[in-house]
Amino acid sequence: MTLRIRHSAPTRIIAILRFAILLALPLATSADTIEFLNGSRLEGSVTAIDTKGKTVTFRAVVAGRASSQTYGYGQIHAVTMKGRRHVLTPKPASDTPSSPDAGAAQSRSKAEVEALIRDVGSTPPSWLGTTRLNYPATLDLNWPMPAPKPWNRNKNVGQFIWDTVNPNTGRWREGVRLMYHLLDVHKRPGATRTRVMTSLASMYFRFFQDYPRAAWWWRRAGTGQNGNDAVALAECYFRMGSKEMAKDALRGQPMRAGMIKLLGDMGETDAAVSLADRYVKAGGAPQEAHLLAGDACRLAHRAQEAIERYQKAIDAPARGQRAKRLQKFQDRARASMAAIKLFDLSDARKVADGTYRDGSLGYAGRVEVEVAVKSGRIESVKVVKHQEKQFYSALRDTPAQIVAKQGVKGVDATSRATITAEAIINASAKALAKGAK
Amino acid sequence: MNAPVPGSGRKATALGLAVAMLGAAAVLSAGAGETRDGLPGQAALQLAIGAVLLLLGLAMALSAIGDRNRGVGGFRLNHFLPFLRRRKKGEPPATLERIGSALKTKLPAAWFSDYRFARPGRLRTGLRRFGVSLLSAPLRRAIQALCLGLFLWSFFHVCWPYSAAPAPPGRIARGWTVDSVDQSDGRLRLTGPADADRWPAELEIVHLVLDEGDAAALGAFHSTTETAGRLELTPAEPLSPEAFNRLLLHVGPAALHERAPDAWPTHHADHLARKEKLAAELFLVIDPLVSLSTAVASRNAVWSLVCAAVILIICVAIPRGFCGYLCPLGTTIDLFDWIVGRRVGRFRVEGRGWWVHTKYWLLATTLICAVCGVLISGFVAAIPVVTRGALFLGEPLQTGLLRGWRLVAPMNVGHLLSIALFLGVLFLGLLRPRFWCRYVCPSGAVFSVANLFRVSERKVESSCVNCNKCVEVCPFDAIKPDFTTRTADCTLCQTCGGVCPTHSIKFVERWNAIDLKPEEEPAPSGAALQRRRFLSLASGATALAAGGGAAAAIRHHGARPDAPGATLPVRPPGSAPEQEFLQMCIRCGECFKACPNNVLQSQGFEQGVEGLWTPRVVADWAGCESSCNACGQVCPTGAIRPLPIEEKKAARMGLAIVDESACLPYADREACQLCVDECVAAGYHAIEFTQVHTRTDLNGAPIEGTGFVAPVVLAEKCVGCGLCQTRCHGINVKEKGLLRESAIVIKAGPGREDRILSGSYIELREREARTRRRQGSAAPDNAPAGDAPTPIDGDDPFGLNGL
Repeated sequence: MTLRIRHSAPTRIIAILRFAILLALPLATSADTIEFLNGSRLEGSVTAIDTKGKTVTFRAVVAGRASSQTYGYGQIHAVTMKGRRHVLTPKPASDTPSSPDAGAAQSRSKAEVEALIRDVGSTPPSWLGTTRLNYPATLDLNWPMPAPKPWNRNKNVGQFIWDTVNPNTGRWREGVRLMYHLLDVHKRPGATRTRVMTSLASMYFRFFQDYPRAAWWWRRAGTGQNGNDAVALAECYFRMGSKEMAKDALRGQPMRAGMIKLLGDMGETDAAVSLADRYVKAGGAPQEAHLLAGDACRLAHRAQEAIERYQKAIDAPARGQRAKRLQKFQDRARASMAAIKLFDLSDARKVADGTYRDGSLGYAGRVEVEVAVKSGRIESVKVVKHQEKQFYSALRDTPAQIVAKQGVKGVDATSRATITAEAIINASAKALAKGAK
Repeated sequence: MNAPVPGSGRKATALGLAVAMLGAAAVLSAGAGETRDGLPGQAALQLAIGAVLLLLGLAMALSAIGDRNRGVGGFRLNHFLPFLRRRKKGEPPATLERIGSALKTKLPAAWFSDYRFARPGRLRTGLRRFGVSLLSAPLRRAIQALCLGLFLWSFFHVCWPYSAAPAPPGRIARGWTVDSVDQSDGRLRLTGPADADRWPAELEIVHLVLDEGDAAALGAFHSTTETAGRLELTPAEPLSPEAFNRLLLHVGPAALHERAPDAWPTHHADHLARKEKLAAELFLVIDPLVSLSTAVASRNAVWSLVCAAVILIICVAIPRGFCGYLCPLGTTIDLFDWIVGRRVGRFRVEGRGWWVHTKYWLLATTLICAVCGVLISGFVAAIPVVTRGALFLGEPLQTGLLRGWRLVAPMNVGHLLSIALFLGVLFLGLLRPRFWCRYVCPSGAVFSVANLFRVSERKVESSCVNCNKCVEVCPFDAIKPDFTTRTADCTLCQTCGGVCPTHSIKFVERWNAIDLKPEEEPAPSGAALQRRRFLSLASGATALAAGGGAAAAIRHHGARPDAPGATLPVRPPGSAPEQEFLQMCIRCGECFKACPNNVLQSQGFEQGVEGLWTPRVVADWAGCESSCNACGQVCPTGAIRPLPIEEKKAARMGLAIVDESACLPYADREACQLCVDECVAAGYHAIEFTQVHTRTDLNGAPIEGTGFVAPVVLAEKCVGCGLCQTRCHGINVKEKGLLRESAIVIKAGPGREDRILSGSYIELREREARTRRRQGSAAPDNAPAGDAPTPIDGDDPFGLNGL
């Protein structure tokens, strides 16, 4: 007995409609053509152009179905209409502008970055149209500042973003959608509209690493000149490919911890380290500064220096009102230090012969692993103690993978047994690090 | 001596052949049906019926051929090994002898008896060693062994989920770019990165993922042609306009996946389907009392009624054949009697006492309870008793030995009670062999009643020499002192036929009257008749009273799921509404056995007697596997609906509820996101984060890095699988000792679970989503309207020069 679900689709009606559309197609228009940025083309007819909002509405028959879509100028390379070809957005040289870290790999001139911000940054992302507007009905869209007390995530927009949007990846697109909705609500320039734009820029920056759009909105809000936003805007320039613009933007700004990180990311490790020292001297939190300097060193594969910096961060006394926050920096420094030791040093070739044992938290408790190393090779990985009830596959597959790959790097977590598999990977790395020469 | 009836043999042969052909047709169509419907359980049933008909028909035809001269009118079902006897001169050989002489030409002569000198052969002496019943009716013993083996195989092998392994992640090739999209049919051309591996040609289906962060594939494509670093893809299903749009607008690399990244895992469901060649619950569905009482109690036509009807029809041809041949409990009792019972004599009882009709009282009580809406057949019906015995005794042993003793779930009073009941049934055999089957078993009583319509029966011919051997050997106490048959008890096991020294016993059609032993009329005294009538009346009244009383008592101290404050255990996914569930669940325990990690465990007396041995989700112990639908597949009565895996993942069994006073982040104790991680890993995404205990500065602005993220359950996505609870309990309670009990707990109750008898859970979810959207339209979905479009004309229709 199996329950069967009926698919009730009025396929016949759709077929007739399709036929009618196909018949009507040649009569409808002398085809216009859209060329998209990835080189694909679409034939149909331009039904509307909004020069202010910079959108084109295009009607086309796609896979036998007629549909109308509105595209931003930034999404279209060119439109051919009545035999004339209008180029709306130049094709990107090679790589994507919006994928993370892609900008850093490719350098652009100032003019190119400006073009990118203008052409891509000004358009909404492709998923915006299909993203549902989803927020509590009790939310006060006027977004008064400062927010009335007490803290209420269902009433105050900022607190809603903080509590509900920020921690949930699945809510990020909805968050952006809400910002666009607020832009519609607050049409007149003013503090609220500026706040919305700044928020939007920050969301593009934090959630999607979408630097052209982040830069566009920070510039439009006019808030990218100082404070943390200035550092973030500088990072946008760097990520889009112009270190020069980034440096220009940072010039003359008061010292901020975020700058250490940015300099480190930009590969200016020495500048980052010296800035950290100056920052500490000027009275900044040493825990944060040394942590960030350590990160910069780690990124530049200066492992020993990084460990020293992390040690400094840990050793700095955390007192006063901000102790809890400072301790978090120290915790991170400790974790990063452990991670360096684990993953950068857990190379079996550098591990002395012997059997090493360590554990990590798994699904239902501690998973203990025993790794045997002989003449620079991982001979065996054994799960010696565990309380897992479910997802046994990882107990078998993950050790086999670690032996096959001779290390913990690049070992996939067995599907559906991710937690157990990761525990085994971590425990193995910790065990290997114990024997690092 | 009756004269041979000319022509009757030919008629019987023809009839036999017709029945055999019917059986063959059933077997063939069952074979075809299996591939068509994918319903192995029903196909197997059809196969079984077909096979029985086939054998029956062949037996009819063969016996008629073999014994033509003896003038048998209908059919003979004789398959016993007849007692060694020198054949009289001129007497034709019996059917079995003919088969035997055919075999003699192939097999060594020493195996066979020499009838002329009445010297037994090796086969016979070998069989005798095991006892007279094996010697007399070896075919029956073979079928019994086969059925017990099948039962144990189904239970311990098919319902053993731990050999299932998740599918490997599959190959992934990243860095491909979309070159062109064909507008008419969505065909794609892609170029691989410079160092692209060739995408393997044998992988016909490719899943295209545009945005790695999105985790959902755009769709499945057939990869048609491939040259080095180039690939053409054709959509497996027509692309939606949205998907098409995403393709057009996508700039940047795309990834090719061998397996859909968002595909739901199905390995447990596939594993069970692969192993379940025969329905794992086969013996449960052919126990007629199981389906009959369930149907009556729940006022619902349970599908297993069909199977029960079929077995009853078969048992009209072979009266009570279920008990003699198929029942695994009967065979277990036989084994117990053989090993233990025959060595312990002190508890034996003699004669036919008050107990002989217990089975009818029990049957009546069960059915009366069922009429009152209380299902007690699970406590006493044969197959549930033996299934639970195997579950509570065998399953811990199997788990302990094969997986480790710490994985054996703890036991409660209910377990002990069930084990005691099972052992009690076995130890009844000390009173008399198969005491349970003869006098107590209500499932057997159903067949006894059905025997009123029997078409075949044991008969004694006039050559009987009153040696009493048959009475002594009969395992079912079915032969009266005058050697005639107690037709309600006879299981056609044919042991008596095998021991009869004069070949006077035959198993023939009911109306056969040829050459019978003349009946001695033991003039029954009027008083005895009166007494009997009175007794049967009294016992009937007792049963009625007992049944009504039991039903009332169970109901009164029962579950009362509608009462406020009632105990509402979390039931397996796809369970019937609670009252119906209690009326349909036969308490066999099959679902416990098939459930990976013992998420389902037997309930004790939390709901009174009414909920005893019913399955409940113990999420502290383990969570429901997202890839598994075993419980419904093996449920014999449909108390848990047999859901396809897609439906099961939408069926809610409960709702996770966070105890904000205990949950570590809510209580401002420490960061913890075990439950959220678990829910995401399982693919439900039903728990999201919220920020709690954020500190604010003087302006009321939140301070970065303060507070914790805490779990929020999204009621519309949570199905109540309990994985979150398992993890919170495993780590925070048991491992770290931070909490006394899990801070997130699965709870059942109205609005938290889907308890429906029919219909799709997916559609239910979709309906709810539509309602939510309608109600939630407080947030106006105003797409950016844009200003009035400018006329598409002029030299600069796009307003480019104005920039």
